[in-house]
Amino acid sequence: MEKIIFFCTLLLVSLYAEESLSAKQQLQNNCLNCHTEDQIPNDLIFRRYLMKYSTEEAMSKAILKYLKDPQQKNSIMPHPFFSKFPMKEALNLNDATLKKNIHTFLETFAVKKKLVLPQ
Amino acid sequence: MSKSEKKSLIRFLLIYLGSTFLLFSIASWIFYTSQKHHLLDQQRDALKFEAAKFVTQLRTLHKTYASTLVYPVHSFVESAIYDLDKQYIFGTGTPAPLLDKKVYMANEKRLYYLTPVDPHYLGAAFLVVHKELDQEPIWELQKSIAWFLFAAGVFFTLLGVFLGRLFIAPMRESMERMNSFIQDTTHELNTPISTILTNIEMLETFGKCEKNDELQRIEIASKTLSRIYDDLTYLNLNHEYYRRIESINVSEFIKERMLYFTVMAEHKRLKIEVTIDKNVTLEIDKNDLTRLVDNLITNAIKYNKQDGLLKLTLTQESLSVMDTGVGIRKKDLDTIVCRFKRANKSEGGFGIGLDIVNQVVESYGFALDIHSKLDQGTEVVIKWKK
Repeated sequence: MEKIIFFCTLLLVSLYAEESLSAKQQLQNNCLNCHTEDQIPNDLIFRRYLMKYSTEEAMSKAILKYLKDPQQKNSIMPHPFFSKFPMKEALNLNDATLKKNIHTFLETFAVKKKLVLPQ
Repeated sequence: MSKSEKKSLIRFLLIYLGSTFLLFSIASWIFYTSQKHHLLDQQRDALKFEAAKFVTQLRTLHKTYASTLVYPVHSFVESAIYDLDKQYIFGTGTPAPLLDKKVYMANEKRLYYLTPVDPHYLGAAFLVVHKELDQEPIWELQKSIAWFLFAAGVFFTLLGVFLGRLFIAPMRESMERMNSFIQDTTHELNTPISTILTNIEMLETFGKCEKNDELQRIEIASKTLSRIYDDLTYLNLNHEYYRRIESINVSEFIKERMLYFTVMAEHKRLKIEVTIDKNVTLEIDKNDLTRLVDNLITNAIKYNKQDGLLKLTLTQESLSVMDTGVGIRKKDLDTIVCRFKRANKSEGGFGIGLDIVNQVVESYGFALDIHSKLDQGTEVVIKWKK
């Protein structure tokens, strides 16, 4: 019985890890590869959205809007940002995939994960 | 202190102390509330200062955004940050309840200060800083107010007792006067009644003896009784009494009254000097004139010395009655016309004689002058017109 529980747990953890790895991989492929290539500072974008929208839901909505229609008016990044970094083209991805990628992006930089109390 | 005085004093103290306590309680409560607010304001200002420091530290953290963000911790102060949906992000201690108020308390034990964070550094839209309420200054304030109320209570109780005694002093004086009046009345009535009864008894016992002396004493005693009755009636009915103002020949009237009191004066072996101008006429009620003249003459007889002088002078301008009696002390001259005031208690009387004289004088607009020297005599002058 104990063995069965152990194997089930192991299976679930590996499935979750796989899924998580898969989500991160998807984000990497869909977004971050280009960002790295163009030297776009991901944390800067995240901080800017975080400072304006505060919640994950509001940030997610704002990023989705930009990703679906990448124009300067839909972005909160300042004008010089677009002089330095090229305006991206709209991704050929469905909403669900976009949302999943955004969520993974936000999770990567989530403030709750970074904050600690002093030792 | 009599029972009624005690009752009055207790009632006064209850009302006085009750109202004073109520007033002081309200004032103390207002003072306490305002001071407490002031003390809380001081603590709130301290929290406000801490909150400003927190926001600065959050901004720094947001700018660095390192892989690990060490949340700022201040001694004695807990803090927490919340996102725009008021969801807890991070903090120290137990997450604080988030209310819409800027400053609020929980169970009178913790003081909270809520400040919005904009821009939302680290995604924080709200920052709450809170600390244990410092009760020490509030307890000190409560203690001070309690001591003040206690001290004020003691002071006002003592003041109340003092004032109460001061207020019941006139009542006590009136009661003493009343007691004295009753004693005097009993005595005043007893003396002539005893005189009459004794002399009648003597007449019955020694029927064949010379009756002049006994009859004379009975006459004096009867006249005294009659005068007491008239004076008391006059005082009692003075306000309701209907006055019949008529032209009276005062010269004739005074001669008549002097004759009436001759027996009394002779009994004291007084030398009488009467100077009366002819046809002095006054528009006056006869009873008022009788009370005026009778009291002046009886006072001059009563307070005169044996073999003394009674000098009565009537002119068109004034009436003067002078005696060579006991006189009045200088300090008593101003109050001698007050009711029940007796400057000399060696003789019987109620102390109403000069009060009646004064009432008549004031009613008719006359002027009253009293000149007196102790042990030398008294002169009472009434000027018909002021």
